[in-house]
Amino acid sequence: MSLLTSLARLRALDEGIAQPIATVRHCHVSARPMVFIPLKLSGEAAAPLAAMLGTDRDEPRLLVVPQPRNRDLRFAWAAELAGVLVPYIETFLASTETVARKNADPYERAVDAPQLVLPNRAGVAFTRLLGRSTRFRSLDGPYPVPMGVPLLGRWLTYFAERAAYPGSSLTLCATDELGRHWASGQSALEDANLAALVSWITEGPNDDAEDPLIWPPAGPATDPGFDAEVLAPAIESESAERVTEALRTQLAPTWRLMWRALDLLRGLREGAGVAQRWEQDRASFSGMAAQVTEGGPPQARRDGAIAAAARLARMERAQAAYDVQRAYDDPLIMAEYRLTGEAFAGEVVENDPDNTEGEGRSRKLRPLVVIKTDDPVRLAPGTALGTPERRGQGAQLVSARDGLVTIKITKGMGRAKTPAPGSVPEVGERVCYTSLTDDFQGSPALPDPEATPWTHGGPPQTYVPTDEDAQEEWS
Amino acid sequence: MSDRLDDLERRIDELRAGVRTAMRARDTATARTLRAELRTAERTWDTLVSGDGPATEHGPPAGNVPEESGQGAPRRARAHGAAARRGDGPRLVTVREQVHQALALLDAPAQARLIVAVSQAFFAGSIRSPQLTSLRRDEERSFRSSPYGRPYYLCAALTDRLSPARGLLTVSTWPAERRVVGPLSPRVDFLTCALRVARHLGGLPGSLPDGDRLLARMARNIPGAGDDAFGPPDPGRVVEAARRELRVHTRRDTRDRAQLAKRATSQLDDVAALFGAATLSTVAKESSTMRGGR
Amino acid sequence: MNRLDALRGTTPQKPHDARAIAALAANPGCSRRALMDGAGIDKDAAARHLGFPAPFGQSPFAITRGNAFEALVKADGCAELLRMLRDLLGLPIAEVAYHDVENVGAHLRHTHTRTLIDRAVRQEDAGTVYDHPLFTLDIAGHTAYLEPDVVAFQLGGRFHIVEIKSFAVIDGQADPAAVAAAARQAAVYVLALRGLLAELGHDPLRVSHEVVLVCPENFANRPVATLVDVRRELAVLRRQLTRMTTLDRLLDGLPDDLTFDLLPGEDGLPTRPVAELADAVRGAAARYAPDCLSTCDLCFFCRDEARQEGASDLLGRHVRDELGGVASVGEVLGLADGTRDAAAGQEEIARLLRNAERLRRECLT
Ligand code: SF4
Repeated sequence: MSLLTSLARLRALDEGIAQPIATVRHCHVSARPMVFIPLKLSGEAAAPLAAMLGTDRDEPRLLVVPQPRNRDLRFAWAAELAGVLVPYIETFLASTETVARKNADPYERAVDAPQLVLPNRAGVAFTRLLGRSTRFRSLDGPYPVPMGVPLLGRWLTYFAERAAYPGSSLTLCATDELGRHWASGQSALEDANLAALVSWITEGPNDDAEDPLIWPPAGPATDPGFDAEVLAPAIESESAERVTEALRTQLAPTWRLMWRALDLLRGLREGAGVAQRWEQDRASFSGMAAQVTEGGPPQARRDGAIAAAARLARMERAQAAYDVQRAYDDPLIMAEYRLTGEAFAGEVVENDPDNTEGEGRSRKLRPLVVIKTDDPVRLAPGTALGTPERRGQGAQLVSARDGLVTIKITKGMGRAKTPAPGSVPEVGERVCYTSLTDDFQGSPALPDPEATPWTHGGPPQTYVPTDEDAQEEWS
Repeated sequence: MSDRLDDLERRIDELRAGVRTAMRARDTATARTLRAELRTAERTWDTLVSGDGPATEHGPPAGNVPEESGQGAPRRARAHGAAARRGDGPRLVTVREQVHQALALLDAPAQARLIVAVSQAFFAGSIRSPQLTSLRRDEERSFRSSPYGRPYYLCAALTDRLSPARGLLTVSTWPAERRVVGPLSPRVDFLTCALRVARHLGGLPGSLPDGDRLLARMARNIPGAGDDAFGPPDPGRVVEAARRELRVHTRRDTRDRAQLAKRATSQLDDVAALFGAATLSTVAKESSTMRGGR
Repeated sequence: MNRLDALRGTTPQKPHDARAIAALAANPGCSRRALMDGAGIDKDAAARHLGFPAPFGQSPFAITRGNAFEALVKADGCAELLRMLRDLLGLPIAEVAYHDVENVGAHLRHTHTRTLIDRAVRQEDAGTVYDHPLFTLDIAGHTAYLEPDVVAFQLGGRFHIVEIKSFAVIDGQADPAAVAAAARQAAVYVLALRGLLAELGHDPLRVSHEVVLVCPENFANRPVATLVDVRRELAVLRRQLTRMTTLDRLLDGLPDDLTFDLLPGEDGLPTRPVAELADAVRGAAARYAPDCLSTCDLCFFCRDEARQEGASDLLGRHVRDELGGVASVGEVLGLADGTRDAAAGQEEIARLLRNAERLRRECLT
């Protein structure tokens, strides 16, 4: 959290309503998202109790395990869940586009991808566990599971992994996304309560959000009072109908909140980088789908050392790229860097569009621009700069003093002797420059997986699920 | 009809909220009253709904899901006691007989969960652990009203304080040495039980999945009995491994038990010898130990 | 009358269990909590009476599951536990003696525990696992009774506390918060058993600082054991307990007639006027932080108080640090708006805040 966000939180507290901390939306919101609210049985690691899910706010599907301690019923539930989620996922495989690649064969990319929307981080974590507890199952042998369950496990695992990938929108966590765009007047801990956060954004703080009788928790844990007074007697009665109705009362309010959250996000204009990140999501999704069709093994229980390091490096790069893109897309995010002196904005007071450097054939166009700014600039002369207004261009800081910054445009001017119209900022124009740039080094030199040093456990063995995996009791 | 249901549902919701509010305020008296009303309302609702049949607009009938899933693994359903719960028909073998059967196989003091597992695995038993909780008290009552009126009684194992040991069942016809437990006895008895289960299983023609599973669970906890292997354990190996460990403990356990048995026979009356000494004598024993200890 | 007893007044003392004692270390800077705990006040009851019931509760499903798992680990003379201890600590095969301390009546369990432990140390009796022993621990002059799941005694003369928990370890990983809580709780037992050994004249360090944590592995019910080093937890706990025995400094600052007495009526329900109790509680300084919401029964009361005071603590330590420690919401916003002058030492944060405010305005209009 930055000082700007902290200030926004205080302002929210003072005014009694959440404050924006973004001016555009930084995540993709699908036209047909799959809202997924899972509930689990208290005290168990991954025993599902129910889920409400669907792509239509008027038609939630409610799936319930009427006797949560019965293993067969749990798998029957997982099979039902597979029956909803897998067809939804597969509809996106029908239409693809061919993408050419440098130094590699072209590949097919889905033109749209599925999107799973979960209420909170605990919901994402539970999705991961559900995936872990189902993907190694087998359809025959001593502990058979219904068709579709192992496949569901692989997809749930995939979606849970993507949730941790910076900038990915394949899995949205509602509280996180709302919290990225609005600052409430409560602590981060309290923001994990979806009802409370939505209330802060829409009408202001309301302690009702913490009353489980008014707003049941958004899962996956249920309210202990509900467990004791409603659920336990319903299960005891052996009436599937009573269990179902009881769980519906716990899920329906969150279902409405989830769509409310999506409305709030949709109400924001989409940031410029969102489409590009969604394109990467579509590529990732297509890759995963290809692995499934080609009969690849389910994801390993744990990454080998090389895979883990590579994943970490990938995530770090993605995080850095995501941070830069958001700053370029959103002046309010850029403001954070202006506050720390890594960026500045102001009005052009003077320019020399025809300035050149070098002689003869190496003579190059290097326009100069002087900007007047109120920002505290903490950049050394020679620093490479980029600007959200002209993304193809690169510049260099020449000097900065007394609120006047001189920069020199060094990249993206073309070969012409005079600048193309509009390529050099005019006097009076407002511009912003930053040392933040999006060209990062390629992946660190990691050995191939085959060459994992023995200190890191030697080369990984291709993961082959054992009988043991399939036999683990689910209890 | 459905108006009535709507009203009831509203009422049920109100009552539930009431109960939970009362519970949060720890107002147990109110909670209890409301809960009683709630149960009545729910029962009425259940009756109305089932009377109404498919006309209600709720989901599929309750029975569907279990049946569907039951097909995949019918064996498991029984293991979960579903069969027992549905078995409304006349029970041919009583609970005490089933327990006796299992204990006779094990030939050592055992806990309810092991007795239930043995009964299910080898005798198609239908007992569940909760049914065993009151068993010892019932047997004691029966013995007090007409001593030795039955060929056997299911009774307690006695601790080194000659009081009943928590959760262990024995048979009155066993020698006193087997019905008392010293510090090593729980381990010795566990190994004996494993050995007996292995022998029994080894002597059966064909395979018995529930029996295999029970033996595998026990074998896991005996060094060298085939702990890591998946698939059915080898009864011969389990017997061998159990014997090996038993050799380490037997001498001391036999000595402890003989001493305890002697004390039990000389100090206890018939009832106490079977069901354990009452608390008062326990207190006396405790204070003497304390004095001795200092 | 002892000053702490006066704080409690006629309210019966709330017995401490290990969970409560472990929680003492949660917000060590809070005098309110230290005083109420020291005096043995039932904070849960106080919070309810104040109209701010604590948001905690345990699901009956979780309780059932926990009991079932513990029974599984201890079944058949702790057969599963012995397997794990043999693997983990190299417990010799001959070490199998099992004592079920619960075989004696509740009132005798503590003395019985003492006897058994004493005999085990003197090697007068075989003793490897003790099921549900009962320890005591002195908390600010009051005796708390503690009941660990199991104490294991290893040949080589060292005791290990065994803590059985039903949260799962999945692919070698468990919920870190759950593990931390278990470690804090186990540390309380280690301390209590060390105290017992010292009382009996034995070396307290015979109780290992490594506790055995037993949890279900993956999605099966199969238990798995791990050694957890609780030295850090022990240190924190010891510090907090010492602090509680030296509450004098805190007591000195309080008005003489201050009491947290709930004045329980015949039925045990508090009769003290709520406003009066609220004033008394406010008399002891709190240090609210959002973490209180998961650790302290008084959290909703203290949060409400922080709201009324407009304290930036409400938003969490992180925000407060970011704001350079300026404590009140009004002050921060005043500095940002420029309607308030920076006090000495606040120049830097004031400049930052004014800049931040200017930037927000510029971007949002
Ligand atoms: S809730 Fe209040 S009393 Fe409890 S620790 Fe926090 S500030 Fe202290």
